[in-house]
Amino acid sequence: MKSTSPKSSWFSSSLSSFRPTPRLVHIVDLAGQWAAPIMVCTVLIVAAIFAPVFYNPTNLRTVGIQFAVLGIVAVGQTLVLLVRSIDLSVSAVLALGAVIVVQTEAGSSLIVSLMQALAVAAAIGLINGFLITKRGVPPFVATFGMLVFIQGARLAYTKGQASGTVPVFLRMISIESVGFIPAALIVWLIVNIIFIFLLRKTRFGRWIYAVGGNPFASRYAGIPVDWVMIAAHTICSVLAILGGLVLSGYIGYVDLRLGADYNMNSIAAAIVGGTAFTGGSGNLFGTAAGVALLVLLLNLVVVLGLPIHWQFAMQGLVLVLATALQGFRQFLLSR
Amino acid sequence: MAVTFDEASASVASSSSKLMAFVRKNGSIFLIYGLIILIAGTATIFSDTFRTPSNISNILRQSIILGLLAIGQSMVILTGGMDISIDMMARTVALVIATLFAMFNSDPGLILPLILLGVVVGVALGGVNGLLITRTHANPFIITFGVAFILRGVNLAISTTPIRGIPSEYLRIYDTKIGIIAVNVIVMAIIWFLVWLFTTRIRLGRALYAVGGSPRIARLSAIRVNRTLVWAYVLSGFFAALAGLFVLSRMGVGDPGTAEGMTFQSIVAVAVGGISLYGGRGSIVGTLGGVLLLTILSNVFNLMQVNIYYQQLLLGFVVLIAVAAYRSPRTVRSG
Repeated sequence: MKSTSPKSSWFSSSLSSFRPTPRLVHIVDLAGQWAAPIMVCTVLIVAAIFAPVFYNPTNLRTVGIQFAVLGIVAVGQTLVLLVRSIDLSVSAVLALGAVIVVQTEAGSSLIVSLMQALAVAAAIGLINGFLITKRGVPPFVATFGMLVFIQGARLAYTKGQASGTVPVFLRMISIESVGFIPAALIVWLIVNIIFIFLLRKTRFGRWIYAVGGNPFASRYAGIPVDWVMIAAHTICSVLAILGGLVLSGYIGYVDLRLGADYNMNSIAAAIVGGTAFTGGSGNLFGTAAGVALLVLLLNLVVVLGLPIHWQFAMQGLVLVLATALQGFRQFLLSR
Repeated sequence: MAVTFDEASASVASSSSKLMAFVRKNGSIFLIYGLIILIAGTATIFSDTFRTPSNISNILRQSIILGLLAIGQSMVILTGGMDISIDMMARTVALVIATLFAMFNSDPGLILPLILLGVVVGVALGGVNGLLITRTHANPFIITFGVAFILRGVNLAISTTPIRGIPSEYLRIYDTKIGIIAVNVIVMAIIWFLVWLFTTRIRLGRALYAVGGSPRIARLSAIRVNRTLVWAYVLSGFFAALAGLFVLSRMGVGDPGTAEGMTFQSIVAVAVGGISLYGGRGSIVGTLGGVLLLTILSNVFNLMQVNIYYQQLLLGFVVLIAVAAYRSPRTVRSG
């Protein structure tokens, strides 16, 4: 496709007249794939030199649990991104699950409240999926609307107060140690094994990549495109609730701000790890590396004693750089 | 993409045709102004306070901040993007200008230069957004989301407490009145008119629609797509800066909570006003309706003394209904 604009300056030149060399394409592609693991190693080395406190066992434990929570949520977000969608309601769902379990814990048995939380999450995921596939609402808008609705519902329900004690079982699956490792990491590992198997070895996994790669072709190939998307959204919401339960087990109480950053961070982690916005490309190893990078950076802000608002700037910077890199990579690869 | 072409030609044809076509095409605008008349009418009958002239002029004045942000948001959404950093840009401008006022002992002579500087800051931030998005082909939603986080960190670095030292002359921007109507309301009316002219009569304004409708066809029609996109984000930054400056004069201090949550409200106002979130369709007249509707609703809620938490829930509910009632281009095509 040729640009038809007669004049072109740096400011206005349309990139369609831009001819990348094969080498540039190759380098950008490699950078997109390996940026997260390489950055993680670099950060670990830098931490060893400048902030040895980081390797303190207590701190490693904290990092491990934070990594597990974000890791669980990011698996769901990756699935949703793989089918060319996005879920901005994960943070609200995450907090909602904790609220449900803590509030109902007083009255009913733990199993019942856990089932309630999972059912609510599945319902939210289903509604998200339906709005996006059957009503044709852009994913950003549908899940953003859901975010506001859930936050409103939670505020109306809790009146904005911090609440409750967290059931012992949740404390157990979060901060108990199994040998050396916090239990949260084991939950994360189980989730990852299940979904790596699902994505690599099952028909559903192939469908997810196919739908993200080309929805129209998938439809002609007889794949139930709408249902694959709805399933991805449902899984994402359920994993968000699971993340919320582990997180509340770690923190020990449920407050208004619980989990507010998880939208941003789960998307950033997946994108940093090489998942494309355009769907159909990315994997859970990359996402795990992205999660590790984000959690390490956020923790280093604390360990190095920098003002806490650096965390915001750090999150934003990682997201912008990763999005820019991946966007450029997809643009080059698609030519 | 013959479909988009059909839509474009259809809109050209109907502008010259009969009344029915006009009503059908602008259905959302009639709907929203009908809703405004309904709500305002009901409130006028049942509330003594609502119908007082001072309350009415108050509503108009309160609508200015949301109005400025919604205009900027409209420019971006018309191109098919979205600007999440709009509230943080407004806040950055407000805090930077407040800091400078405080630094120079609130010298009234600096008001004009500092207003200009504020506008420059906003335009520059918008330009950064636009260049990041067009140069790297990244997703606008995520890029501006990341930039919003970076700016949040920057704002916290500037100040976490209200900044005092705004010269009292500056507060006149908010206070000056002719009779009962505030001067800023009149200025705002002129701005709305100019923006309407811009989007309907000026080449760049029309280019926003073309790019939102189909970037490819716009490029083939010799429209500089990337330049138009950058302009959209620059305009968004410009109006965010105006909003920040206005908040500054309203508060009288540099408030670190400036424009909190306004991004979402601006998107709601634009979407409720009937501008397609896919870009390319809708009118700035609808945005004005959306802004007035939200402002009147909030005023009525306050007069009815609805609990703030339930207000959130109601807003979320309204949004979810608006989202569910959303018509995708797909349904428009077949219908």
